[in-house]
Amino acid sequence: MRTDQHAMIQATSLSKRYRSGHVEKVALCQVSLAIPRAEFWIVSGPSGSGKTTLLALLAGMIAPTEGEVVLDGKSITHLRDHHRALARRNLVGMVFQEFALVAGMTLAENIFLPLVPQGGPGETERQRVRALLERFGMAAYARTQVERLSAGERQRGAIIRALVADAPILMLDEPTAALDTENVRIMVDLLLSLRAEGRTIVATTHDRRLTEDPRLNGVLRLVDGRLER
Amino acid sequence: MKRQLALIRFALGSAHRRTGRTLSLAVALALVTFGYSSVLFLTEALRSEFRLAATALPDLTVQSLVAGRPALINEEQLPAIASIAGVVAVQPRVWGYYFVPAMSGNFTVVGVDTDAETVRRDLSLVMLEGKLPGASGEVVLGESLAAFLGLEITDAVTLPVGRAMKRLELVGTFRSQVALWTSDVILMNVADAREFLQVPPGQATDLAVLLSTPDEASVAARKIAELLPSARIVDRQLMSRTYDLTFDTRGGMMGGMLLSALVSFLILAWDRLTGVGPGERREIGVLKAVGWRTGDVLIARLWENTVIAVYGAVPGILAAYGYVFLARAPGLAEVLLGWSSIYPALRLTPAVDPGQFLVLLCLVVIPFVAASLIPAWRTATHDPHGLLRGAA
Repeated sequence: MRTDQHAMIQATSLSKRYRSGHVEKVALCQVSLAIPRAEFWIVSGPSGSGKTTLLALLAGMIAPTEGEVVLDGKSITHLRDHHRALARRNLVGMVFQEFALVAGMTLAENIFLPLVPQGGPGETERQRVRALLERFGMAAYARTQVERLSAGERQRGAIIRALVADAPILMLDEPTAALDTENVRIMVDLLLSLRAEGRTIVATTHDRRLTEDPRLNGVLRLVDGRLER
Repeated sequence: MKRQLALIRFALGSAHRRTGRTLSLAVALALVTFGYSSVLFLTEALRSEFRLAATALPDLTVQSLVAGRPALINEEQLPAIASIAGVVAVQPRVWGYYFVPAMSGNFTVVGVDTDAETVRRDLSLVMLEGKLPGASGEVVLGESLAAFLGLEITDAVTLPVGRAMKRLELVGTFRSQVALWTSDVILMNVADAREFLQVPPGQATDLAVLLSTPDEASVAARKIAELLPSARIVDRQLMSRTYDLTFDTRGGMMGGMLLSALVSFLILAWDRLTGVGPGERREIGVLKAVGWRTGDVLIARLWENTVIAVYGAVPGILAAYGYVFLARAPGLAEVLLGWSSIYPALRLTPAVDPGQFLVLLCLVVIPFVAASLIPAWRTATHDPHGLLRGAA
């Protein structure tokens, strides 16, 4: 297989099928893509088109039925669970549609969660998080329990968590689903500033406020698990 | 180390976040630990009490049996026993139980020959206060018994002897590591003891035989049995083993009964732990999605349940200690002591064997912590995407 030397995220003939008894459901079929470093791409499509499945495959959260995913030049498809978890921690920062913050924990505790298995945050990570909290206007909420935050605040918290390990790739699932126009603008500005720092960003959405934004690098459209060209 | 500390901190936070689950498991664990610890503490304390008491027994005790029951023994047998090779001394002993109807309690009356140098020496080692009983009417009590009766030295008490009353003056108190002795023993001179217990001159409760080589007690016992075919000869070492066996058996029976409680607890624990709810599944999904490995999730869960085990087991053990050694194990002591009632109430000397904690660890804590790992492992091996979407 030819590997695109400039692609930060590369998928080749990616398929995902789910089996339920004797019935097989095709969630994704032969998807190939290459997203260059420091670009911001959107994966759009109607509900059930396979956007979230594609994102989960690209992030190494599930294994494909067929095909391969290469992140920053390293294939993550055939890694064992142990190494795939490390790839998720070190290469990909993931922001989930419902933010996936742990209720009962403060925002700071949630942000530092990825670092717990390696002994918790060091001084470098603390400084990085302090700077991100300031930059995202969240410094005042560090010790607030996440269930007390608004949707916009929780999303910004989730983005900070995705950046805590300084991963070069940021993936967001339906990032504008719970946001008003003003918060969409704030979030896109933040994401563009992250792209300017060299991060590669992929977000799934069917929100026109994002898909029609001319500042983004491109839009991939998924329909029934296949990429439209 | 740093990694483990971070995981422990996370586990502590998880245990506090899931207050309901933590509390219900800790309370159930505390109850089971309390039950097992109580039996273990009481068994070990009684065993050590009787073991200590057994060390003061003569090497052999010769009792006469009539109709299969202990009866007074004739002192005529003394020279014949003393002539057996290996026998150092034979001492006739006058002692027995004295029932005080007003207190509905038995006391152990022991006649001591204070003219005998060995008796003087032994008693001087345990005397707490006062002097040895010499003249008629003088008694020495164990300190617990004196305290229970509210008597101080020079106080007098009148007790019935047959149809008459006898005035006794407390001239001293003694202490002993054996709580059983200080709880119910009354020392007096041999003549008074004979009067109280109605033992005629020339007869004794039993004969205490001291041997030059206690390990050869069985040989001396066989020779005494040849001389006195109807006598019962009690070997001290045999007696210690019998006590051990008795308490092992009773402790084991109680342990067996508590097994059902342990099983119930493990079922409850299994139910609570296997029923990984949607919130917990989602949390495991989050952890895996942000880069935790299955092993990290399991270690965190292991620490979390160790925390719960400590929350449950420590209060259970402390409560059992208080129940046995401060409250005197009401309800349980009767079961382990069998038919006998000790009056005044026996206050046991705390005796805790570190091995008991190992038993507790193996029976309760380890199965609990291990039981928690299987459901956590089953959940953590799913992919994070499925866990977060609630599909796994």
